[in-house]
Amino acid sequence: MKCVLISGRTAKQGSSLEVGKTSKEYLENVAVVMMNEDDMKEIGIEEGEPAKISTKFGSTVVRCRKSKLDRGTIFMPFGPWVGMLTGVDTQGTGMPDSKGIEVEISATDEKVQTVSDILKMMKEIR
Amino acid sequence: MIFKDVVCPFCGCLCDDIEVTVEDGKITDIKNGCVLSESKFLNYDRDRAKPMVRKGGKLVEVKLEEAIDRAAEILRSADFPLIYGLSSTECDAQRLAVELTERIGGTVDNTSSVCHGPTILAAQGIGAVKCTLGEVKNRADLVVFWGCNPGEAHIRHLVRYSSVPKGLFTSEGRKGRTIVCVDVRETPSTRLADIFIKVEQGRDFELLSALRAALKGHEVGDVAGVSSEEIKQLAEKMKGCKFGVIFFGLGLTMTQGKHMNVNAALSLVRDLNNYTKFTIIPMRGHFNVTGANEVCLWQTGYPFSVNFSRGYPVYNPGEFSAVDILARGECDAALIIASDPVANFPIEASRHLAKISTIVMDPKVSMTSLIAGVVIPTAIAGIECEGTAYRMDGIPIRLRKVINPKFPPDEEILRKIIEGVKG
Repeated sequence: MKCVLISGRTAKQGSSLEVGKTSKEYLENVAVVMMNEDDMKEIGIEEGEPAKISTKFGSTVVRCRKSKLDRGTIFMPFGPWVGMLTGVDTQGTGMPDSKGIEVEISATDEKVQTVSDILKMMKEIR
Repeated sequence: MIFKDVVCPFCGCLCDDIEVTVEDGKITDIKNGCVLSESKFLNYDRDRAKPMVRKGGKLVEVKLEEAIDRAAEILRSADFPLIYGLSSTECDAQRLAVELTERIGGTVDNTSSVCHGPTILAAQGIGAVKCTLGEVKNRADLVVFWGCNPGEAHIRHLVRYSSVPKGLFTSEGRKGRTIVCVDVRETPSTRLADIFIKVEQGRDFELLSALRAALKGHEVGDVAGVSSEEIKQLAEKMKGCKFGVIFFGLGLTMTQGKHMNVNAALSLVRDLNNYTKFTIIPMRGHFNVTGANEVCLWQTGYPFSVNFSRGYPVYNPGEFSAVDILARGECDAALIIASDPVANFPIEASRHLAKISTIVMDPKVSMTSLIAGVVIPTAIAGIECEGTAYRMDGIPIRLRKVINPKFPPDEEILRKIIEGVKG
């Protein structure tokens, strides 16, 4: 289903990054997507299950959490999982488009992407 | 031992009333801090970085001096080095980072290029009517939070400065203030507001412009999902307050339109000063990102995205901003100081950092340190070393040291790298 992604800070994202970027807390609190309950029903996903999110720039798999967001809007905390979905065009400002990104979201059998999965993708190129 | 009035080095609020208990050389307790502050102080010793150099494709632990020498060697021989980060360190280190950049003819950029860089662009265009958080506490009777969520990102902002505190002309505290939240979604902050205005995603510019029109008595229809009536009422409320302030966040700077959204907000505040006293303050994220802008400004004339290839500073966000340089694959070496771009940049930009010789100076293991060629561990500014940091309203505050560090502060390491690049 097509949605608009907003990224931003959360208190849990802020406190778990101090625990460590490779910690369990960081993965649990940042590799998540918040979504309207009716949208979750529409794509056939339950609380805590993995969701695949894709944009024209890339894709990632994170855990789904229900929220009071409007239908058609999803939210992800700042972190490398959002980085997998954003493009590098800054329109001459230095700032990439990090809010209001068009995405496709669906339920998936794939595993939630870990920090080491993301790093591995970079190291392969090294 | 208990240290009182310690400054929290997490966000741009720089709360300076933290009480830190140190026992046997370790932090064991903190008081007065928010959940972010508690996490920063109590986890200060977790996941600490070690001096490392990549050898045969693997990061190998080395002596600190070897990592510093290797860093100097990389930077000395680089054609187009990038120095980036700086928002979570103190001002002396920021100053030396600029000096190093000038010496090696590189580019220096700080994290504001991916947070409030558009705010700076807008303010350079039309100016900004600013004030201090002290003035907000003592005078503001109307506080608007636009595209920001202090309830989760600047947790004590509401209690210390903008909502609850009683001041010289705000003796009623929260009761005497009207709090307005403009956001695209419900957040912990919108739930604390008297008025919540839900704007359609990506339509902030239109709503701000409609408010400007309503202010001048023009008829406005429904705009950006907000009814004509709500727009008129908010315009009247803004006009009628004694001292108003807009705090705004990345909801304006990261959304399509970017600096033009901020331009509209700054224009609205400028217009409002025809009727009453109104001000605007950006909600700065990292504790010294404001300092990174200030130091870069007084050292080079420009606040971020500054290039020294020609021997003198040239400013051009979009050209000399980190994401753009990396996306175009232009730099052949990078020094990342007190920041973690790999955890925040678009993947295509991070990939280039993994390809080139990247040096990381950080107290902790970061995602960038895991792909780097050289890792230099540092003391945590504001916990393990002193220094100056700038609060979000531009007020400099002296950071405290409560713990003896195992590794030197950024400033000392940068001095050694500068000596090293001299050859």
